[in-house]
Amino acid sequence: MNPSRRPDRRRPRGFGALSASRSGIALLGIVSTVQFGAIPAVLSGQTVVDFVPPEPERRVVEGVPVYLIQDNTLPLVTFYARLEGGYARFGRENYASGMALPALLRYGGVAGAPPDSVDRLIEHYALQTTFGGGGGAITSSVNTLSEYLNEAVELWGAMLADPGLDSTEVEIWRGRQLEQVRRRTDDPGTLAVSRFNRMIYGDHPIGWELTAADLSSDRLSRASVLEIARRVMCRDNLSLGVVGDVDWNTLRPLANTLVRRFEACADSVPPTPRPQVNRDAGVFVLHRAEAAQSVLILAHTTDVRLSDDSDYYSASIGNSVLGAGGFSSRLMSRLRSERGYAYSVSSLWTTPRDYEGLLGATTRTSPETAAAAARLIVETMNGLRLEPPTEMEVRTASDAIVNGFVFSFENPGQIISRTMFYESQDLPSDWLSRYVRGVQRVTPETVHRAFLRHLRPGEMTTLVVGDTTRMDMAAFADLGPVTFLDAGEEGESSGSR
Amino acid sequence: MVGFKAAGALFLTGVATATIAGPARAQATEDLRTDGVRRELEVRRIVLDNGMRVLALPRPGAPVVSLVVRFAVGGVNERPGTTGAAHFLEHLLFRGTEKTGTEDWEAERALYPLMDAAHDSVVAARVRGDGAEMERLLARISALEDSARVFTDPGEFDRILRRAGARGLNATTSNDATTYFVDLPSHRLREWFELEADRMANPVLRGFYSERKVVIEERKLRVEGDPGGALVEAHLAAAFSVHPYRHPVVGYMTDLENLSREEVAAYHRSYYGARNAVTVIVGDVDPDEIEALARRHFGPLPAGAPPPPITAKEPEQRGERRVELVFDVEPRLRIGWKVPAATHHDTPALELLATLLTGGRSSRLHRRLILEDRIAASVSASLQPGSAFPRLLVLDAVPLGPNTTAQVEEAVYAEVERLASEGPTEVELARVGNQVRAGAVRGLVSNFGLALRLAENEALFGDWRAMLGHPERLRAVTADEVRHVARKYLVREGRTVATVVRGEGPIS
Repeated sequence: MNPSRRPDRRRPRGFGALSASRSGIALLGIVSTVQFGAIPAVLSGQTVVDFVPPEPERRVVEGVPVYLIQDNTLPLVTFYARLEGGYARFGRENYASGMALPALLRYGGVAGAPPDSVDRLIEHYALQTTFGGGGGAITSSVNTLSEYLNEAVELWGAMLADPGLDSTEVEIWRGRQLEQVRRRTDDPGTLAVSRFNRMIYGDHPIGWELTAADLSSDRLSRASVLEIARRVMCRDNLSLGVVGDVDWNTLRPLANTLVRRFEACADSVPPTPRPQVNRDAGVFVLHRAEAAQSVLILAHTTDVRLSDDSDYYSASIGNSVLGAGGFSSRLMSRLRSERGYAYSVSSLWTTPRDYEGLLGATTRTSPETAAAAARLIVETMNGLRLEPPTEMEVRTASDAIVNGFVFSFENPGQIISRTMFYESQDLPSDWLSRYVRGVQRVTPETVHRAFLRHLRPGEMTTLVVGDTTRMDMAAFADLGPVTFLDAGEEGESSGSR
Repeated sequence: MVGFKAAGALFLTGVATATIAGPARAQATEDLRTDGVRRELEVRRIVLDNGMRVLALPRPGAPVVSLVVRFAVGGVNERPGTTGAAHFLEHLLFRGTEKTGTEDWEAERALYPLMDAAHDSVVAARVRGDGAEMERLLARISALEDSARVFTDPGEFDRILRRAGARGLNATTSNDATTYFVDLPSHRLREWFELEADRMANPVLRGFYSERKVVIEERKLRVEGDPGGALVEAHLAAAFSVHPYRHPVVGYMTDLENLSREEVAAYHRSYYGARNAVTVIVGDVDPDEIEALARRHFGPLPAGAPPPPITAKEPEQRGERRVELVFDVEPRLRIGWKVPAATHHDTPALELLATLLTGGRSSRLHRRLILEDRIAASVSASLQPGSAFPRLLVLDAVPLGPNTTAQVEEAVYAEVERLASEGPTEVELARVGNQVRAGAVRGLVSNFGLALRLAENEALFGDWRAMLGHPERLRAVTADEVRHVARKYLVREGRTVATVVRGEGPIS
């Protein structure tokens, strides 16, 4: 009954990254050395659990950090790789090549073996592989029955370090992406997220969407993907993690061979560019004829950053109180439970480390209730500026994090992945403890201060995508000047006004 | 790079060897793996006096538990007029009881007859076509709910569990079942038993009328506003002419608008007896403690009368059926062939057939449609829409423009015919066999996933142990059996084809 919170895999960044960042808040600072019992239970209702989570062993192989959690519960082993360098680092002209690289590592075969041979091997050994990543890094994993460990690591290593990037597979990938471009306007939600990111972040990777021009043969070819692979898939960018039915003695020679497959990096990858955010306040409307629901996205930028300070922790708890904290959060309670406006409504307060995040909310509702829903969202957000949240609201959010903390250690794979991620982000090794202590220090007054300082209702950018013929457009004027958006180069508005 | 090429060549040699030797090697380790899996599943099965079955499975790892309660009730227990009732009830069971979510139950309850009477008048006004009266009455209902809200806190159930550290508190309603679930730190079990027993026995359907709007918005999200969802609904309605699998679980819009509180309450009385439930708890648990808690908290729940049987039986299909939906979107294709229920002896071969068709990049349809002909962007096969009754083997495909659904359809039938004629190769069967074996082990990784499978098998087969033999049953399927089920079920006379085509706006 609860709205799905599964991230949209097509939008792992930008506004879509809002959800990723929200998850990031919940997952913050997984550090292997945390002793569970060391976390103080300063608020009533918070329980100290007598549990020492598994701690990764860290070794360095040929300069590459390798983490291991041995877990002999089941005859399975998972290898994880993280390579710094994603599509956001190489400019718009290389955007499609950067986006294509993870898929082509999987589908493009390996040097000396065509794609169908690799497919057959993967399926014969029943391996589970993942290849993905965001704008900043490429991530991959392989899971295998432990009896096929050698074969799995051999194959996976070849896919990462000696990819074939078969030119036919490049064409297949191009064709499928062009199909996605054609279908992008089919769903108003996807369309709204895409348009909002472009409005706020402009010509920055967060605001980019693949277009037919990106996918043209002069921008995307085997050679262009190979060049990105050469820049990214090299040893200095690599870190490894291993979880499962394997010990160091068995792992060491495998890790040595695997790491040596990667050549040293010839060049360092450029940093992800910082966005120049646009601050156009007002209501922006994109008409979609006959759309059953309207999509609302309201947000403005804030400069709360992921760091060990009161504003950050208060923003985390404040976001939970506002709309990220389930049925008892304010937006869910008011828009869904009381008014029945929407199946799902959620707030967002993203806190990137290096650039401004967003504070806002999003929902889908019938066109007839769109304006009322938008006004209620703003009113509910502003409520936290006018008065502090209740003690109960803050305690609920804090207890949820502290008492649910043990779930951060439910799966050794989670621990390894997050350890690798946080090392890549230069977060302190005791970050998890800091986070839990930080949220325990949050009070209604610090949340109130955070909203007073950072929420600026008059600066909100509101995007409405839906059937304007059924909306109370005059009511939107209460939220700011109303601007009708053009369809855009991809024919985003397919119906008539 | 030279060294790598050598390794690559060895690798390819290894492929051939492994492919040939694969089945024998797999056999050598089969017993060990099977025993290993079985040792993992030391399930305590408790049958309470009221008929509720409780399964407790201790697992190593973090001090957390996954909790699942599955009622054998879903869309299949509905008929026109009450479609969507099971799903609507599932929503309402999160909004509290006489004890949870209210400060003054008696004062709150006094308002309910007023709301319900206004609702009856709304239905009458809707029938008369009196829009103005409807609006007036709906406003009155909203005002009465606002009055009740003075006493209520419908988020309390959620808040109690969140404060306890809950993760993934949610529920799902399918055609065959309604399943409630949550993960908790293991030392909070007692609180969950108290809350769960209370909400299963004593729901008050709080906020009935505002929640109705939420469900209507959910239907708009999943069906009216989603061509994929609309396609599924139209496809099932065409494929099943009598059996309730033809109805959408979320309910038809008109039924959602007119369902009364009493109709939903009656649904709860009919289907939420303890005898109709399976509870599964997997994780850091002591089975003795679980048994004691279950007897104390779930033991007193009423058994309920046996649920009314489902008598509808789908007649044999005599010819292809086709349905087309017009939306302003890119095209989609969905083909469904009639196949028997999950308990039928042909099911393992049908599951294998689906895997051979679309399971992985080496599967027949993936290779043909996506890699070779390049006429589709995606293709997948599954058995739908439930398990308990005869159902469909469904194939969903998205054409790659400018190719059409007709081109994809033609290629699908050609591949299906080839498989029915030639059967799978030994290499294909070996590959799928290994995938089945690995899948059986991977299925043990997640407490939650394991809890869901235990509950489904206990409910469907009457014995959770049915899942233990499933991998062996799949691996025992022969090429002849695959060919047999393909010839028997994947025939023109038993199929229903649905397409989305681009056009000027939706059908009204």
